[in-house]
Amino acid sequence: MASRHPALEGYTRYRAVGQLAFLLHRITGLGILLFLVIHIIDTSFVYFAPELYDEAIQIYRSIPFMIGEIFLVWSVFYHGFNGIRIIIFDLWKPEWWEKDIAVKSVYWTLALSILAWLPAAYIMGRAIIENHFMGG
Amino acid sequence: MATKVRNVRPAVSSEARWWLWMRITGILMVVFVFPHVIIKDVIVGVHNIDLNYVAQVWANILWRVFDFLLLFTTFTHGMMGLRQVLMDYIHSATGRRTVTWVLGILWFVISLAGAIAIIGGVQQPGM
Ligand code: HEM
Repeated sequence: MASRHPALEGYTRYRAVGQLAFLLHRITGLGILLFLVIHIIDTSFVYFAPELYDEAIQIYRSIPFMIGEIFLVWSVFYHGFNGIRIIIFDLWKPEWWEKDIAVKSVYWTLALSILAWLPAAYIMGRAIIENHFMGG
Repeated sequence: MATKVRNVRPAVSSEARWWLWMRITGILMVVFVFPHVIIKDVIVGVHNIDLNYVAQVWANILWRVFDFLLLFTTFTHGMMGLRQVLMDYIHSATGRRTVTWVLGILWFVISLAGAIAIIGGVQQPGM
């Protein structure tokens, strides 16, 4: 695409892609943390309130929560892979923050997180069908 | 053309230490988070998890050690991450100190509850 501001093009491109990567990293991190707080509390029921534990887990078995769980697993894959990318670049390969490599690495991270997630999403989706729509 | 999009030369300060701890916990967590999620959410599944299941898993001391390290690395990283996000919006020295303390206390209380459960183990209902 011809640009009247060729000098600016590289920056604006990384900003778009890089900001998407950053925003997704932040949203997934906060989302996982929200779930983690609830999850630490429900798990500690095994000690503090064992009679309530199975009831609490029952909530996670509902359809909306199982769908949420599928997205939570993608969040963990994306945040984890992107986190590893950031750590490698920051600590060992700062020269990879060079624009072209940085942009490509974002696409790779997105692709890998989706590829790793698909089989998991399939198995978890199947579990929803098996537990809610079959053999009832 | 080598246009750097990010410069990695933080000044030596307390923020630099937080920055480094985000990365140290990040590296440690890889070993715990992915196995945990794949085993519990994908392979076992929420329909097979109940009080009995937890008791069986925790009968093995190694899984308790695993879950303990999982708890501390993830929750510490998560709370430091939340602090990092809030620091983008709070700029006054008092505000920042308050955020750090409030999150620190929450971190301590919730970690303690989780740690007691892992060490104390599964109790039988009605005992
Ligand atoms: C394999 C696991 C993980 C790795 C490698 C990882 C890595 C990272 C890294 C490197 C950062 C700093 C990003 C930056 O400074 O630009 C970060 C931020 C963050 N992480 Fe993680 N993380 C992992 C898992 C988690 C989990 C399980 C949680 C939730 C409890 C979490 C919550 C957060 C939050 C809230 C932030 C702050 C986001 C921001 O400042 O925009 N992370 N993570």
